[in-house]
Amino acid sequence: MKRAFFSKSTSRHDINIMRVPSDKLKTNYFRMKTNLKQTIILSTLFLLSVTAFSQERLVSNNTHIRFFSSTPAEDIESNNYASTSTINLQNGNVVFSVPMQSFEFKKSLMQRHFNQEKFLHTSEFPTARLVAKITNLSEIDFSKDGEYDAVVEGDLTIRGVTNSIKEPGTITVKGGKVDATSKFFVTLADYDVTFSGGKPSTNIADKVEVTVHAEYIKE
Amino acid sequence: MSNKKKKIIKIGAIVIAAGLIVGISVALYLWNLPHRDVQGTATDYELTTSELVTEYINDWDNANAKYLAEDGRSKVLEVTGTVVRVTENFNGQKVVFMREEGDKAGINFTFLPEASSNAEKLNPGQVATLKGVIRSGVYFDKDLEMFVHAVVDNADLVADNQ
Repeated sequence: MKRAFFSKSTSRHDINIMRVPSDKLKTNYFRMKTNLKQTIILSTLFLLSVTAFSQERLVSNNTHIRFFSSTPAEDIESNNYASTSTINLQNGNVVFSVPMQSFEFKKSLMQRHFNQEKFLHTSEFPTARLVAKITNLSEIDFSKDGEYDAVVEGDLTIRGVTNSIKEPGTITVKGGKVDATSKFFVTLADYDVTFSGGKPSTNIADKVEVTVHAEYIKE
Repeated sequence: MSNKKKKIIKIGAIVIAAGLIVGISVALYLWNLPHRDVQGTATDYELTTSELVTEYINDWDNANAKYLAEDGRSKVLEVTGTVVRVTENFNGQKVVFMREEGDKAGINFTFLPEASSNAEKLNPGQVATLKGVIRSGVYFDKDLEMFVHAVVDNADLVADNQ
């Protein structure tokens, strides 16, 4: 039957042995066609659902990143509220893209120094990035309210220089919203930010504290 | 001590004192340098949301060179586009997102705290012109697997269609 309908090499003999009432033949043909259509539709739906599931992720456009430097000379704080971040729920990938010129300082002069070539050179390197992975993803239930400890491991790129980092964080799931926070230290010299003399060398700490807070929604 | 010597010492002391006063004044001025008044600064470019997005997607390096300044005092833009949503960031500032249908990305405008009431006037679908300083442009981030929107800070409403 299948050969009579689909084989290109159908012979006269084949047709003879398949000689059946034409009405029945038509009915069978349409039944097969319908089954085939259903199979294709179901397969497509299955594939689409699998793809959607595998790409399920959280996106944040509401973030706060704070730099804090403390020396005997002075404390310096800078805040950025314009970063973008995603968390892939399937593989635990965490990405942050931070627009460097969005860091705001209390003192205008510090903001200018921060952006200049000698410091962060933000016109040449407009974004800092974190490309990392939650290494204990299985311990975090994004569908259940609670506070979960997370370990994030990956690459942090500032001023075009990339270093590996491994830092702790906290993920809070509450009422369908996901918040992520972390606090860690960055050694400026690791990212080619060094001062040989002048006020910055005494007023800016070698290690600055970085605080991260991001509020995620499902994409 | 001769009168001549006294005169030289006197002049020297005056010069040193004047130098100290000028030096301290300059240091104090720089230390208390006010933040840039973006809304009071002349607009560098007037363009639409789509124009800025397309410019960045076509040539990110050139667009950065055109709009971003080395000391962070980047170009002041007046951008006309369609409001998609108005939200609030962790600092309590209003953020207006503008994007045109069919575009791959849009622009997030972070409003000045004193301009919050102007942001609240805006509704989705409304066409408005906003002014602010550009902080970063549009680009496709392969790790985020998405287009990242441009960021414009210290923004305020210039005109709307209502």
